[in-house]
Amino acid sequence: MSDMLADSPEAAPSLLSVRDLAVHIRTDGGLARILDGVSFDLPPGGTLGIVGESGCGKSTLLRAILGILPKGARVPQGQVLFQGQDILRAPVRGRIGFIPQDPYLSLNPVFRAGDQLLEGMRRHASGSRDEHRRKLVSLFQAVQLPEPENALDKYPHQFSGGQRQRLLIAAALACDPDLVVADEPTTALDVTTQLEILALLRGLTAERGMGLLFVTHDFGVLSAVCEDVAVLYAGRVADWGPTGNVLADPRHPYTRMLLACHPDRATDLVGIPGTVPAATAQPPGCRFHPRCPIARPVCSQAVPEPLRIFDGSRVACPFHADPLPEVALG
Amino acid sequence: MAELIAARDLVVELGAERGLLKRRAGVRAVDGVSLSVAAGETFGVVGESGCGKTTLARTLLGLQRESGGEIRLEGALVSGASPAQARRQRAAVQYVHQDPGAALDPWWRVGATLAEGLRIQGTTDRAEATVRIAEILRAVGLDPALGDRYPHELSGGQQRRIGLARILLLRPKLVILDEPTAGLDLSVQAAVLRLLRDLRDRFGLTYLFISHDLSVVRRVCDQVAVMYLGRIVEQAPTAELFAQPRHPYTRALLAAAPRLGAQASVPGLRGDPPSLRAIPSGCRFHPRCPLADAICAAEEPTKQSVAAGHDVCCHHWRDAA
Repeated sequence: MSDMLADSPEAAPSLLSVRDLAVHIRTDGGLARILDGVSFDLPPGGTLGIVGESGCGKSTLLRAILGILPKGARVPQGQVLFQGQDILRAPVRGRIGFIPQDPYLSLNPVFRAGDQLLEGMRRHASGSRDEHRRKLVSLFQAVQLPEPENALDKYPHQFSGGQRQRLLIAAALACDPDLVVADEPTTALDVTTQLEILALLRGLTAERGMGLLFVTHDFGVLSAVCEDVAVLYAGRVADWGPTGNVLADPRHPYTRMLLACHPDRATDLVGIPGTVPAATAQPPGCRFHPRCPIARPVCSQAVPEPLRIFDGSRVACPFHADPLPEVALG
Repeated sequence: MAELIAARDLVVELGAERGLLKRRAGVRAVDGVSLSVAAGETFGVVGESGCGKTTLARTLLGLQRESGGEIRLEGALVSGASPAQARRQRAAVQYVHQDPGAALDPWWRVGATLAEGLRIQGTTDRAEATVRIAEILRAVGLDPALGDRYPHELSGGQQRRIGLARILLLRPKLVILDEPTAGLDLSVQAAVLRLLRDLRDRFGLTYLFISHDLSVVRRVCDQVAVMYLGRIVEQAPTAELFAQPRHPYTRALLAAAPRLGAQASVPGLRGDPPSLRAIPSGCRFHPRCPLADAICAAEEPTKQSVAAGHDVCCHHWRDAA
């Protein structure tokens, strides 16, 4: 699989490079192979979306990158290279900012917003407390928080949901990270607020030259934010390429069927037969083959290698050029 | 098509206290809503959080008592009753909870949960109940053996099907679906939407479809009402609303919805919706409206007809063409 990446035209070294990553967790039900051979790259200043349905391994991938894998998780193979350094072995501090999913759960209600944000900066950024305060106020201006001078002294309940998410974006940017990782940052927000937050996040990371890794299950949000996308299915990458190409011309049967389920696209709503396999009972070969309408005998035997296709995308299906039966696409 | 349920000038006040010495005014979560749902159609209600969607649903259901206005079910006046009485009158109206997992008792096998509804409605014969439960589980695409499982043993999609089975047993005419696809994966969502359509045709149901997902609403609804701060600001047949939205709020909402393959557009709307405790004067949308002028702050717009079945509450809807 590393061969597949070696021939990619990488003018600049990647900001984040995930190589053949596997994460296994021992559970009561047996060994859960949550991630298995995941590879992708994010160039400096680039934006990559990770999409997939529940149980595909999005959160575990995120935790591996942030260095907060749960106890009992093992990494039997692979690397997560951040600026060339394997952060699974030597964690970096303060270089990766994180924006959590739920702005309501992510702030402690009994402490002032400022104290919570300053604590992170005290641990990870240089400079005095006064410098940190000035930095936060200027960030509050950048994220368009009302009354930025007073925001430090307010409690979380004094902000609306959209304002809390702005606060958390400021927190993620506070230590000037090179990479910002966002976990579905707008799912808890209304559509009109969502659009503002997405535009803000995209603008701020772009002007500061930060990379953005954006986890989402919403293809609409993905189109609005990410240049590239990696589609995960059952712990493996199905499709990886420029967002526009993947959305306009999806190649992996899973991605094709998933996009056919989108209400903006479906001609008839069909869904995908079957369910995502449990992580403790992954089928052999291609993990999608039990649900795939064009599966052949080989699909249940060999793990498909990611194939480069003409536009630089990679697809983990040797039969990606075959048409799907009409009924599968609605 | 015959009208199944209708509301006229419905007002719902929440949190009001009438003490001996002092009165505390509540907030008007629903403020003068009129709507009419025809039998067999899917009527969508969209709007941001706090706009009164769920309060409207609870009031139509009879769980929340209205403070003003009237509700008619199949032509008969059903408003003005106490909540307990209202529920008895409105047995034909049923509600599917937003979070089906939370709506199921974790200590009860789902079969027992399903039987409870039948018992409350007066089906005491066990054999009959078992037959009807098996039949309805098959209708929602589940194996009747699933009745022996506990809620945590089911997937999100299966829980949602159980939520549907539970109310279909009661043979409703109007089903209120509160965010029926929230939190579902795309492939499961497609299957649930298809099931909803099949069930509507098979059982002759009418849906009140509450959602904030405009892509889904566009796909499944016949009519759409857009709510803002307790009012319906625009209502039209779905195709017309999406093709020719007239209210600036509807336009902003449609522009803000992320669409497949579309680049992010410029945010059209600033700020969050104001609180129900401080409703702006005149048109409630005017502080956020790009078309607002002096008349909008002073005068509340009345309902105006754009075309047959298309109403809008805006002084400047002609400019929003």
